[in-house]
Amino acid sequence: MKYIILSLAILLSACTTAPVKQKFPDVPKALIEKCDSLKKVEGDRVAITEMLKVVVQNYGMYYECAAKVDGWQEWYNDQKRIYESVK
Amino acid sequence: MSQIQWMIGLIPDAVLSWAYWAIIVVGITGVLAGWLGKWIPFYGNYVKVLQPVGIVLLVLGVWLRGGYDVEMAWRDKVAKLEEQVKIAEQKSQETNTVIQEKVVEKTKVIKGKTEYITQYIDKEVIKNQEIIKYIENCPVPKEIINIHNQAVDMNKAAEGPKK
Repeated sequence: MKYIILSLAILLSACTTAPVKQKFPDVPKALIEKCDSLKKVEGDRVAITEMLKVVVQNYGMYYECAAKVDGWQEWYNDQKRIYESVK
Repeated sequence: MSQIQWMIGLIPDAVLSWAYWAIIVVGITGVLAGWLGKWIPFYGNYVKVLQPVGIVLLVLGVWLRGGYDVEMAWRDKVAKLEEQVKIAEQKSQETNTVIQEKVVEKTKVIKGKTEYITQYIDKEVIKNQEIIKYIENCPVPKEIINIHNQAVDMNKAAEGPKK
């Protein structure tokens, strides 16, 4: 029994973890910013041009947010490729 | 066990390598001396001691030397992996810079375009006689504005009750 314990102790003494850690990649600041809330049309008597401006601004905000989502997808795909290249 | 490894780690690798080889050589010498000693007169008494000591030293030397080689192989692997991780982190940082610039540039262009269209409405569209007439006579019905504003808040339905 003591020989088995001794043998195990000697064999397990080689079991150490590799001291290499890969840091979780940072995210670009532009992607962390939240998307703005869409604008509402304010007032009771509103001209069609005023409403049109709000619609245009909302389209703009949608595309700004879409740019961030595209950025996130690109970030994920690129970081995954880089992460998997370490073997 | 880790303390022993740590203490051994303080000794320079080259010294360790030489020490392990020395133990093997002494062990082999002991075994050979024990084997040859049988035929040498007056030397036979030492054979009983030399042979077991030689065997023990030989086994110990081979074990230590094997461990040393394994250690060196792992250190090599760790060094290569550290190098790969360093390169990956650098690439990751470069990718982040590219994405950051791309998103900032896109956002800038979109904001600019939105501003341009808004200004165009204020400066040009509003001067159009047909539109002026339309604005004077036809304000947007309240119902249309309400529906638009409800659509703006449609994401709140997906958020659910706040906890």
